[in-house]
Amino acid sequence: MTTRHQAIRAIMEQVEDEIVVCNIGHPSRELFEIQDRPRNFYMLGSMGLASSIGLGLALSQPERVLVIEGEGSVLMNLGSLATIGATSPENLALLIIDNESYGSTGFQPTFTANGLSLAAVAKECGIEDSFAVSSPDEIGGLVDRIRQTGKGPCCAVIRTEKVMDKVPPLISLDAEDIKKRFMEAIRNEP
Amino acid sequence: MTSSEYLYKTLRKTGLDFMVSVPCVKLGDLIAMAEKDQEITYTPVTREEEGIGILAGAALAGKRPAILMQNSGLGNSVNALCSLVSFYSLPMVLVISHRGTEGEMIKAQIPMGETTRRILEAADISHLVVYSAWDLLKAESLIDSAFRDSRPAALLLPFDFWDGGNRK
Repeated sequence: MTTRHQAIRAIMEQVEDEIVVCNIGHPSRELFEIQDRPRNFYMLGSMGLASSIGLGLALSQPERVLVIEGEGSVLMNLGSLATIGATSPENLALLIIDNESYGSTGFQPTFTANGLSLAAVAKECGIEDSFAVSSPDEIGGLVDRIRQTGKGPCCAVIRTEKVMDKVPPLISLDAEDIKKRFMEAIRNEP
Repeated sequence: MTSSEYLYKTLRKTGLDFMVSVPCVKLGDLIAMAEKDQEITYTPVTREEEGIGILAGAALAGKRPAILMQNSGLGNSVNALCSLVSFYSLPMVLVISHRGTEGEMIKAQIPMGETTRRILEAADISHLVVYSAWDLLKAESLIDSAFRDSRPAALLLPFDFWDGGNRK
């Protein structure tokens, strides 16, 4: 199995000009360490809302939006899957990294540890292209797969190990800087 | 024109082009207008906090977004308003039906009704009580300032507003 850090690295190796919105806590810090870029939006507060921010972006501009989510965060805002299913923007993909735990706070188990399938929930919410992946090969081809399908939103649950590679560094940008360069980057052609 | 029509006209005049809603019986007409308006992006949402997140994404893309909700939903949104909207200085408008105020028939609305303005003050969100259509000129400048200064602003709509000032 893959670690979350490896999964984020594998995603970023495939990313070209896509907009990336990343979940609070260690995932954003890992993304910052792996590949900081102006088209990354690091969500530093408001746990649960990464998929909603991604939906707002996808409904407001034509470029593809990839949201690096966590299963604990999605469980906090399950209604978001219903709204994404109902609005169905083709340019939105949720990449839910599922390590069955709240990894940033000490690996307390989440309900996916009991077998809850967020891919099944997403499908029932109307996100037809919902599936789970776990092998490095599948994760390594994920963004290409999303680009090729291109019909309606996508929800990929990426199952990862319940371990942390190392404590990722803090993000050395403040909120205002993250916002300004992100807004400028997405306003211009990629 | 009805109060709702005056209000919707004001919201559109200030350039609002992206709306989400969680219903309140008082907001019914306004929501129907947003739904029918082909020139804006509109969707209902499941919960107000979720709506604030969607508005944040829209604001990042340069839209001028607003949420139509009851004041109970303000309570559901406090963390998002502080740690997302204020933290990143994002502009948006909260159009709030202020229940639990004078004229309220449902007792359960009263505690939140009495707390609403203090929540906005504690969160440092500029707000205006719109008692009648006459106050909409002030609402216009509040909305303009929200986008000029890149911060949230709230319009509170008590029973008087919907009743066109004829209730008393």
